[in-house]
Amino acid sequence: MASLKRSLDTDPFASNISSKVYVRSTKSGKVQKIVREVYLRQDIPCSSRLCQRCLNTAPRDAAGRATPFVLSEAPAGTSVFPHGHYLVPDTNAFLTAMDLFEQSSAFYDVIVLQVVLEELRNRSLPLYNRLIGLTKSEDKRFYVFFNEFRLETHVARQGGESVNDRNDRAVRKAVAWYNQHLARTGAKKVPAVVMLSNDRDNLRKAKQEGIHACSLSEYVRQLKDGDALLDMIPESEDQESTIKEKRAGEPLYPEYFSMSKMMTGVKSGLLHQGIFNVSPYNYLEGSIRVPAFPKPLLVLGRENINRAIDGDLVVVEVLPKDQWKEPSTQVIEEDAITKNENPDAEETGDFVSEKERKALQEEVKRTHSKTTEGHAQPTAKVVGVVKRNWRQYVGHIDQSSVSQSSQQGRKQDTVFVIPMDRKIPKIRLRTRQVAELVGKRILVTIDAWDRNSRHPTGHFVRSLGELETKAAETEALLLEYDVQYRPFPKTVLDCLPKEGHDWRVPASTDDPGWRDREDLRDLLICSIDPIGCQDIDDALHSRPLPNGNIEVGVHIADVSHFVKPNTAMDAEASIRGTTVYLVDKRIDMLPMLLGTDLCSLKPYVERYAFSVLWELTPDADVVNVRFTKSVIKSREAFSYEQAQLRVDDHSQQDDLTKSIRTLLALSRKLKQKRLDAGALSLSSPEVKVQMESETSDPIDVKTKELLDTMSLVEEFMLLANVSVARKIYEAFPQTAILRRHGAPPKTNFDELANQLRVKRGLEISVESSRALADSLDACVDANEPFFNTLVRIMATRCMMAAEYFCSGTQAYPEFRHYGLASEIYTHFTSPIRRYADLVAHRQLAAAIGYEAVNPSIRSRGRLEAVCRNINVRHRNAQLAGRASIAYYVGQALRGKATEEDGFVLKVFSNGFVVLVPRFGIESLIRLRDLAEPEPAASYDAETYTLTTSGSREVTVELFQKVRVRVTDQKDETTGKRGVKMELVSVY
Amino acid sequence: MPLDTSTYSLALLRVDGRRWNELRRVHAQIRTQAAADGSSYLEMGHTKVMCVVTGPSEPGPRRGGVGGGGAGAGGGGGAGGQGKEAEVVVSIVIAGFSSVDRKRRGRGDKRTLEMQSTVANALAASLHTHLFPHSQISISLHVLSQDGSLLAALINAATLACVDAGIPMTDYVVACTAGSTSTYAANDESADPLLDLNHQEEQELPGLTVATLGESDRVAVLVCESRVQVSRLEGMLAVGVDGCKQMREILDRVVREKGRRMIQEGTVEKGIGLNEMDVD
Repeated sequence: MASLKRSLDTDPFASNISSKVYVRSTKSGKVQKIVREVYLRQDIPCSSRLCQRCLNTAPRDAAGRATPFVLSEAPAGTSVFPHGHYLVPDTNAFLTAMDLFEQSSAFYDVIVLQVVLEELRNRSLPLYNRLIGLTKSEDKRFYVFFNEFRLETHVARQGGESVNDRNDRAVRKAVAWYNQHLARTGAKKVPAVVMLSNDRDNLRKAKQEGIHACSLSEYVRQLKDGDALLDMIPESEDQESTIKEKRAGEPLYPEYFSMSKMMTGVKSGLLHQGIFNVSPYNYLEGSIRVPAFPKPLLVLGRENINRAIDGDLVVVEVLPKDQWKEPSTQVIEEDAITKNENPDAEETGDFVSEKERKALQEEVKRTHSKTTEGHAQPTAKVVGVVKRNWRQYVGHIDQSSVSQSSQQGRKQDTVFVIPMDRKIPKIRLRTRQVAELVGKRILVTIDAWDRNSRHPTGHFVRSLGELETKAAETEALLLEYDVQYRPFPKTVLDCLPKEGHDWRVPASTDDPGWRDREDLRDLLICSIDPIGCQDIDDALHSRPLPNGNIEVGVHIADVSHFVKPNTAMDAEASIRGTTVYLVDKRIDMLPMLLGTDLCSLKPYVERYAFSVLWELTPDADVVNVRFTKSVIKSREAFSYEQAQLRVDDHSQQDDLTKSIRTLLALSRKLKQKRLDAGALSLSSPEVKVQMESETSDPIDVKTKELLDTMSLVEEFMLLANVSVARKIYEAFPQTAILRRHGAPPKTNFDELANQLRVKRGLEISVESSRALADSLDACVDANEPFFNTLVRIMATRCMMAAEYFCSGTQAYPEFRHYGLASEIYTHFTSPIRRYADLVAHRQLAAAIGYEAVNPSIRSRGRLEAVCRNINVRHRNAQLAGRASIAYYVGQALRGKATEEDGFVLKVFSNGFVVLVPRFGIESLIRLRDLAEPEPAASYDAETYTLTTSGSREVTVELFQKVRVRVTDQKDETTGKRGVKMELVSVY
Repeated sequence: MPLDTSTYSLALLRVDGRRWNELRRVHAQIRTQAAADGSSYLEMGHTKVMCVVTGPSEPGPRRGGVGGGGAGAGGGGGAGGQGKEAEVVVSIVIAGFSSVDRKRRGRGDKRTLEMQSTVANALAASLHTHLFPHSQISISLHVLSQDGSLLAALINAATLACVDAGIPMTDYVVACTAGSTSTYAANDESADPLLDLNHQEEQELPGLTVATLGESDRVAVLVCESRVQVSRLEGMLAVGVDGCKQMREILDRVVREKGRRMIQEGTVEKGIGLNEMDVD
């Protein structure tokens, strides 16, 4: 009888076959046992240029190319390893000190083991990606050695051995193999292979086995410029444990729940998961929006916040009703309260400081004095963090936390770093270079936040320069908003046309560039943009048709002709997502050559364009629309002001001016239609900083004027965007890239509606965008023309953010753009500065059959990823732009003091916020700024009124007009120069 | 989770440590069930299938109506048991324990039905069915464990079992899979073709199954269910066909080895046709 049984010994493959068995649990809680084959081989090279033998068996890809060897034949030495060395870090080394490996002064010739790479991937995907980035960089010489697939270095887990122990053993075995292997190369100077680990046990075992091994700090000390790098090593676990032994105090914070407990809790609805947001006015108050409740839950106090940092994904538990509170009406700033904390004597003293207690007590007193129970809001406490959203933070060292002795000497010292972002708590930092770093903008990261540490601990990454210098502040801003500002790499520049600035539209219409392009060079096309605009995205024309209708064309720079999918330039643009406009600087999405020359629809030259052509009736109804790639020649590039002058000047009767007048007339009708449909006209205080042309120092601040010609361009751009959105949605129902603006939840407007009702007897209705638009129109104060704008500014802040999305991810009714009252919308008109527009261009080109459908615009997963990225980038770009304006407003006011009118936006029990429209700035005026000593005050939350008594007697109400003196002042907390307001009088 | 297929470019190694042009370990046996007309057992990595062939025999009385007691049947080749050619009927049973998550597949499972007809058509073209009019060759395949390249393993096992059953055929129908190292959307120009995908690669990368007639370049089956860039298809196909040739070598060795051993053991005399052979 034949049998299926066979012994592995008879199998010729058996010696080099192994299997990997592991258990994983799925999202639904099922446990799966996975078995994977592992083929062990002997042709995995060591990749050292010293080794001849490996070169002979080096693997080749399908095209027969061998991968070049990475590790240098003469690696750098250290004091302990004079013959040079290769590094083999273990997982913890990467987890704790990835910044160190990215240094350009040291850490070359690193062998990354597969086991380390796998473990790193499990622990932190961002770090893994950074490491993969390092392995791709040619000059860093990082080599990934697949030790698990090499016969000699494969390690099977032994019975009773933990996974970590096995991995450590695998690392040691690989190091030992490398040492033996390199010794056999017969080189004169054999480099040492050194294991880097912070695990004491692992180091001890390595020493026993006779393997070179050091801890990170030991190793860095051996380097020449070790001291500077030493700071970048986070406190190792060992040190931490010794500290713990010394002061066996109670942990300060409650312990987090285990992951499974949190997940079960969330699933059963007992716990809630959401993103933790810190109130910008009170660092001890956070809120979290959870799907289960319409209103956000409040998280009050250090203990309840329990080490969560703004942006973290946390799980919270709702507190019993007797602990429900009102949202704070008080401004609590971290610097004022924790000013005198000593970073070294961290664990001594009470966890919740006396002052913090006092601040909270006042809150409680007030809630208790209220009879109206309905005001108390549900509160919650954080019981665990699902995902940290830590990034690198820009900040500066708190001068007061620096001890005198550390100003000299290179003793390691602990200081506080105050992040620029007020929502981020102080970070405890250990450094040896306090003296150099004080007064600088620095970049730090958070490493951990232990239960027994009041503040998170972090480490220094690099210094950006002196505080308040233009270069440092601009870079700080870009880093803070994660703007990619490095110059374009060579691979991207290689994608540019070879002709450079000499590129021209081919003269012969037989050229392949002319394929399927319409020749629109004889049309009277012009562009209208802000003054000094270099990247001209759009141009317009109109001409009467014989049937009495009007042909209107919007011509958009044909960027997709130059930026082809799946090139390095495309990849870079998709990462950058948008051009960022700062006051004195523009961070381009595309290289200059394209943005300001080849794509830009400059006047008097021929350019490729993507045109949308409508036939409109004189009443601005669309008869038909068509899309085509074209060649145009713009007749003139106007600024808004020039165009306005030309339109208003009745002596100008040339065809171009007439066509602008036609466009203007049509745009008014279009706008009226939009408003009739319920489009909102919202407002945000916008100002423009005027710079001195030579020194580019800010000299004045102007509010932006609104001209008819701006609205002209805007209307036609909106029309083009809507037309394109319809077309690409029709062609690609699943994958069209669109933009939506969700209707704001009603609760967002609760507070504003209440304020308006109480203070002005006005009602706000949010049933539809139409109703909202109408009720906003009704919010007028006969004596105060600005009141309407003020309400609009406040309403804008209650809105949702518009977002890009891929049409397959939403149902059609969800496509709606609330603000524009359009059923469907996309971005098409600014491909030079927005990546979404570029994708829309490609989709439209495919939709009209101009080019084949590229897979990158058909893959839904990929488009969703693009949308996610550009949504974030778009928002960051806006924030960065605003922050830049705020900085320059501060600079412009430097050394001046002016009196201006302002309006009260928000009232707290110990201060109020004033908006000064003239500068577009808002600032907090605290009670203690009013007079010395601080006046007593009573706050009536019902009527939003603050009445002070004692040293100064004023009554401040919401929406009130006030006179303030605006001066500049260096903000001690953020180190930013900003404006400071003093109340002069109340109107 | 261990690494995924994106790390290939780091060292030209696949997730299980193979190079781009390497097959997994193949282990095959024939004549595993003495009572059957033909039988085989085949492993490609952790994909394990067994096959039993019955026939050529007279079609049972149940034929003509619904496929009675047998598992869902895929018919192919010839005009049924009544025609001038033998009908090849394939049934595939996928064991519930064969994949990681115990999923029960019913008889009507579309994927199984499609594989049945693919195997049946492929074999019907290679078997000399015209020698057996009014008869039926029924092939039942059992999947014991799945780790990618299932269809290829089924075709290979069915071929071996038909050889064991002594049904005349033109040549081995051998199959294997081929893939490409980067996904469809990545559009990576330097993507390498891959031979013999395992489950993880099948999930993450584009792939196809190709079967050829023995050593010739004649493609008998070509199934591609994922999106592949046209430019990469040629490379994948070439690698797949090359893999089929290697596979034929392996299967041929198995058959010859079994034959040699049977002669050594004296169960069969040299030169005697297999049909007259009496095992045991």
